[in-house]
Amino acid sequence: MALLIDSSPDCIISKEGATPADDSVDFILQARYEDCAGIMTFGPGSTYGDEGAAADTGYYIVTWLGITFMVVTLIMWMAYENRQLIGHVGRIRGRDGGPPPQPGGVGGEV
Amino acid sequence: MIDFVIAQVQNLEDAASVEAQTLDSVILGEQFYFFTVVLMWLIHAGFMTYEAGVVRRKNVMATAMKNILTIAVVTPSFYYFGWWIYNCNQPGLPIGPNSTDFTAVACQGGIPWSDAFGPNLTNNINLIFFLAFLLFSWTTASIMSGALLERVRLSAYLVLAVLLGSAVWILDAAWGWSAGGWLTLRFGFHDSIASGVVHGVAGAFTLGVLFNLGPRIGKYTREGLARQFRPQNLHGTLLGLMLIFTGFYAFYGACLVISSTAFPGWANIYLSPTTLGSISMVITFGFAGGFTGGYFAARGDPFWTVSGGLAGVIGVSAGADVYAPSVAYLLSAATAALAVYAGNWIEKKMRVDDVVGAVAVHGFSGFLGMLWVGIFAAGYPTGLNNVDSSIGGQLMGMATFLPLGFLSGWVSSLILKKLNLLRVPPEVELEGLDVAEYEEDLYMPESAKLGEMMVEPDGSLVPAEGVLREAEREVVR
Repeated sequence: MALLIDSSPDCIISKEGATPADDSVDFILQARYEDCAGIMTFGPGSTYGDEGAAADTGYYIVTWLGITFMVVTLIMWMAYENRQLIGHVGRIRGRDGGPPPQPGGVGGEV
Repeated sequence: MIDFVIAQVQNLEDAASVEAQTLDSVILGEQFYFFTVVLMWLIHAGFMTYEAGVVRRKNVMATAMKNILTIAVVTPSFYYFGWWIYNCNQPGLPIGPNSTDFTAVACQGGIPWSDAFGPNLTNNINLIFFLAFLLFSWTTASIMSGALLERVRLSAYLVLAVLLGSAVWILDAAWGWSAGGWLTLRFGFHDSIASGVVHGVAGAFTLGVLFNLGPRIGKYTREGLARQFRPQNLHGTLLGLMLIFTGFYAFYGACLVISSTAFPGWANIYLSPTTLGSISMVITFGFAGGFTGGYFAARGDPFWTVSGGLAGVIGVSAGADVYAPSVAYLLSAATAALAVYAGNWIEKKMRVDDVVGAVAVHGFSGFLGMLWVGIFAAGYPTGLNNVDSSIGGQLMGMATFLPLGFLSGWVSSLILKKLNLLRVPPEVELEGLDVAEYEEDLYMPESAKLGEMMVEPDGSLVPAEGVLREAEREVVR
């Protein structure tokens, strides 16, 4: 049992004194995994094709956090670059004696 | 001793069992796609080297960073919705994992919360196949990247890269580059190594963006004649193309379905039989013909000679699973020659400033490649319905992909333009993107003394500063 948080799927079961499966060649599927197919963190722990669309609540949360992070970073990228360019154009125009750029724009498009 | 021999025989029998063979073939497929993914990184390294070589010195780092950051945005977006688009939209409309459509099983593996879309001990293929497609997506976005160099905003490019790399191309791939796509099932559309699906659509999308982006300051004279900017490192550009060519072999390989327990062991994306040797021959002869066609059409110009190799391969990709080597050789030479003329026409007649000729090399050649199949590879059963490939089916695909690519690029870039987020300010473009984006000139000051030069339409080499200052005044004032 994990100490504070158990982020592994429920199909990974606890077996007291579990040892590798009898066939020593079968070194991957050890006893605690033998009922498990999908082993990803926060995953449903089901087999492929069996309720593939379903997931544990934790996995939905992780997925939507990822999607949100992706969208936010794209928006931040645009905002950050826009601010950076406005500042730089202001420095150029200040150096050359031209008018500083107005908020919300950095000069005409070509 | 006898026990040992018996055990060995038993092991051999076990290894030869159907189950063991199936597992072996799955692991073989997993390894195969893994190595194609690794080698396809060369395409991306090549795009970066190529584009950083073709720009002016003041834009090198901005160009390279744009290529690198493509990975940062296309990877998550393709994971979160690109793979769903491919796997759940093949009939033309979105389906769910519980649909009765035969693609429903594939659809299960395409939704982000599917248990097949993460570590799964019973599915070796979904993730590695996804990664192969992800590398296709990087490539598709990078095709657009080169055309927009030296004036597009990084963030605008990244938004467009997400749209093209994780939505537009993969939607047309669902329709025409899958065994269950409606273009394939109904019309026998055949584009085995993605002439149109990747290159054609990316070229059309890029053209739409270029209409809104406009040319670089000073690219055209007041009379509309085209000037040439000198690339800062032509050797780097050529090296980049060679890296792309090397990675293309992996791209070609990854377009096949490996099935070592079924004759002949390989199939194209429509599950029709072919071999790895067949497509490798076509790509090699495509380069040979493409270099030749590009060289003669461009009268020995190095840029167009090497780009001709790329155009040639793209021109024969659609039928690479069945073309005879001689057909590939001749078609690629013709495609490359026509791409050179198309590139010059786009630059000088349409006055579209496409820095690397992407619209001609990828877009024009990609659509030509689809057309070639209707003429030189007609009659091949394609897709699960075994509909023959034909000129009608190919035209249907082209008529679908052209508006899909062009309109999505044009509309999205128009929105960015209206928000004043598409292009860098003229002052920044003139000074160079590196200083504005990274706040320093990243090259040794000594190299700046060489100054920026450009070629006038009459062929004379002149210092760029005066020309650009005058052009900037027309833009800003």
